[in-house]
Amino acid sequence: MEKHLLRITVNEQEYELYINPKALLVEVIRDHLGFTGTKRGCESVSCGACTVMIDGMAVKSCSVLAMQVDGMNVTTSEGLEEKGQLHPIQKAFLDHGAYQCGFCTSGMLMSSKAFLDENPNPTTHEIREGIEGNLCRCTGYNSIVRALDAVAKGNYREDKA
Amino acid sequence: MSIKCPVCGKVAKTGSAIDCARHMFGTGDKPHRAWFESQGLSYIDLLLSQTTEPGNKAYITVAELIEKANKD
Amino acid sequence: MKYNVINTHVHNIDGIAKVTGRATYTFDVKIPGMLYGKILRSPHPHARIVNIDSSKAMELMGVKAVVTGKDTLGVKQGIWRRYSELCDEQILPLEKVRYIGEPVAAVAAVTEEIAEQALDLIEVDYEVLPAVYEPMEAIKKGAPEVHEGVERNINVTRHIEWGDVEEAFENSDYIREDWFKCSGQAHMCMETRCAVASYTPEGKLTVWTSTQSPYYIQGLLSGVLGLRESDIRVIAHYVGGGFGGKFELDAAQFCSSVLSMKLSKPVKIVFSREEDFIATKRRTPMFYYVRTGVKKDGTFMARETRVFTDGGAYTGMGATALYLTGFFHSFPYKWAGYRYDGFRVYTNTLPSTSMRGFGAPQGMFCSETQIDLIARDLGIDRVEIRRKNAHTPNYEVPGQATIASCGLTECLDKIEEWIKSRGDLPPNRGIGISSYGFMSGGIFNWFDSPYSFSSAVVTINYDGKVDLHVGCQEIGQGSNTTMAIICAEELGVRIEDIRVHSGDTAECPPDLGAWGSRQTLMAGNATKMAAADAKRQLLEFATAKIKPNIVYDLDIKDRWVHLVARPERGLDYFEVVKDALRGKGGQRIVGRGFYTPHRKGMISPAYSYGVQALEIDVDPETGKIKLVNCVTAHDCGQPINPIGLHGQLEGAISMAAGYGFLEDMPMEDGKIMNPNLVDYKIIRATEMPETEVFEIDTYEPEGPFGAKEAGEGLTNPTAAALGNALFDALGISVKQLPITPEKVLNALREKKLEDNK
Repeated sequence: MEKHLLRITVNEQEYELYINPKALLVEVIRDHLGFTGTKRGCESVSCGACTVMIDGMAVKSCSVLAMQVDGMNVTTSEGLEEKGQLHPIQKAFLDHGAYQCGFCTSGMLMSSKAFLDENPNPTTHEIREGIEGNLCRCTGYNSIVRALDAVAKGNYREDKA
Repeated sequence: MSIKCPVCGKVAKTGSAIDCARHMFGTGDKPHRAWFESQGLSYIDLLLSQTTEPGNKAYITVAELIEKANKD
Repeated sequence: MKYNVINTHVHNIDGIAKVTGRATYTFDVKIPGMLYGKILRSPHPHARIVNIDSSKAMELMGVKAVVTGKDTLGVKQGIWRRYSELCDEQILPLEKVRYIGEPVAAVAAVTEEIAEQALDLIEVDYEVLPAVYEPMEAIKKGAPEVHEGVERNINVTRHIEWGDVEEAFENSDYIREDWFKCSGQAHMCMETRCAVASYTPEGKLTVWTSTQSPYYIQGLLSGVLGLRESDIRVIAHYVGGGFGGKFELDAAQFCSSVLSMKLSKPVKIVFSREEDFIATKRRTPMFYYVRTGVKKDGTFMARETRVFTDGGAYTGMGATALYLTGFFHSFPYKWAGYRYDGFRVYTNTLPSTSMRGFGAPQGMFCSETQIDLIARDLGIDRVEIRRKNAHTPNYEVPGQATIASCGLTECLDKIEEWIKSRGDLPPNRGIGISSYGFMSGGIFNWFDSPYSFSSAVVTINYDGKVDLHVGCQEIGQGSNTTMAIICAEELGVRIEDIRVHSGDTAECPPDLGAWGSRQTLMAGNATKMAAADAKRQLLEFATAKIKPNIVYDLDIKDRWVHLVARPERGLDYFEVVKDALRGKGGQRIVGRGFYTPHRKGMISPAYSYGVQALEIDVDPETGKIKLVNCVTAHDCGQPINPIGLHGQLEGAISMAAGYGFLEDMPMEDGKIMNPNLVDYKIIRATEMPETEVFEIDTYEPEGPFGAKEAGEGLTNPTAAALGNALFDALGISVKQLPITPEKVLNALREKKLEDNK
């Protein structure tokens, strides 16, 4: 079986890989590149644990072939921090206990970032809709909503640090 | 008429056969279970039916037999 | 009581790893030379295994091994190790399969894809046997025998009784009986069952796995593999959820171990979501008959309850669920006479076991639904009738349990206040309530462990940093953080001074693990004892330095070693530590602690309590229910980690509400019809209601700093509260879970017919 060349930027680093053309993006991220933050929780594109950002948009990485992302920019939870400084959303998650077992967390963070980037002043109902595609079995979601609401309200702006 | 338990002679407060049946199921001890078998009934089958099907058909079945036993 | 660390805003100590993608779960483990395993599963609910031919599979390039029951010791295992008749499961069976999805063979190959292909090449000859799917059918004379020699397929029976039940009924003014059906539920952890097993030529086995109890898995693997317990190392640093489904031995752990032992290579098995639905163990479905007698003023007199549970194909933890459901069904009220008879029945469906709540959510649904009906029948206020009969501090459930702390009445008062504050509700809206009381760990040792139920070791290093080694398992509920908090508070340091080690049987002391709500109380007590031991040793040196009058005590608070009576007189903790190590010839200070409940009644050392109110909207056209508000007043003794506690509450609500109206596993001929996340509905962010919590302060003498459980008890009331909210809104009582729109509409139709009569 012939392998194809994939050029992809993940967390601001460029990669060149030869992959099975049928490989899903989530497989390439996790198995080829070793970014295991992104998880898989289902086979039916239902749980959101594999959510990453592709060129700024939240995408379930189990629903796209890696080849479809050739030449694009992918961000995973490992790419949120900057030189060890946590992203405001990550800080908010810590403050509000917006995770428990943590398995859904990487996907939840990426859905959250994509959502807030697009809608920086949401109502709490809109926040709930923004993370509707991400299942969490542990938290009951409300702590996540509180965390995102705090970020939206500006509690984590740089000048407040 | 006050119905007596055919095994231990107990009489329910209401004296009814249905309440006697309740008592017999409730004790669940060997002698009471043995009486069910002697009547050609399966204690466990009746218990299952009573627990899972609303209407207490099992109690009614047993009450009829208790009444008969009291007449003898 | 105000503490320095306890009940303060503390970040989960595993937080940074989890929010930055650094946390490595079993799902992520990769070892050089690792092979991938897949499991071949029975398509039949009941069949004899005549022959398995794996020769074609072995010919496929990349396949390294195929194993069946014949490659194992054939040990029948079960978690109730003490009772051999309940150890009924060969994970790779030798003779027959008993449910659709049961493993029959396992393959190891160089890629997952090849392993998958190999499954299709394994030829299994089955002799299909008649199967039975419902307890009602399984118990009949002549029904197929699921396990040889088990008469009528009745697997376990349990009986609980106190008082004179018949007399209590005779003294009742009003008697009511109702029938209920409670469904099963899937744990649906975000991380499916998985394991990486690595056997090496030294005869040692290392297993990375997603588990609630590394110690149990170690012990159970030892039993089925013929290895010494201490030659098995189980590692579980990060676990993606457990909820009661991950402390028994599962096929991922067993098959990967058997394959690895054959090849001396690491083998990884990860269940697909579908496998996780169909071939693991579920919450136990139950049929409930409840007969209750009360006085006309609402005093509870007598209750007689009979339960048949659908045990599925194997026992698992089902024996415990059978007991606990009957026990907590009486909670949290006082009964003059109580009788419970429980029967567990084998069927050819996936096994039933424990799931958060452990039989109590089912018990509460039936009890609390009936209580609202009784209250309505007698014209008594639903809060008042509960308050009248509520457990009180130091009550003894006759011959069963001694309650020490109990804040139930205060919880009821608080909820009553909240309901009043809601005023008049709009149409089609209702508020339902339910109380609960739950255990903080069990006193039973059916695992037959020779070890203390919980142990801890505290080691103080020269720089003052503290290593805390515990066996209790972090599964997302925050036990690492809870233990760090307890250790920091007791020792008198800050949480950042504590480094917790857990999730590794080679490094940590044994602990029964995360189930039955036991860890805060039991592991917490062990941790507190170890920290106290270490502190005492430190204080010996401080006393020598400070030289106080013999009547004065020293203590440590916030890194300050001081005289309790004169706190300004003291020494820096870090300096004392340096002196102490020197004084001990360079040896680190080590404190040890352990806890096993003794003479604590039949069930548990302590009980949490609470009352929950759930406000819903129901659409009488569609039968659809929307959760609006959920308010809980609860008593967990002393809260240790408030963020963690709040998270446990909200998580419990989402799971328990799901049990009440969303989650269902319909089966046809033993086959689960919805084994995926499209058709199995769990609550999403848009369906979760706003929540409010009232903490009721009590002090539990048996718990560390007065703490009791919180997290499992909180799953008990929600389904009941939901049903009672529906009753409040539309006057209909649905007695079958889950309360689907279909059931709501049926109940409305029936009510219309009744009203028209």
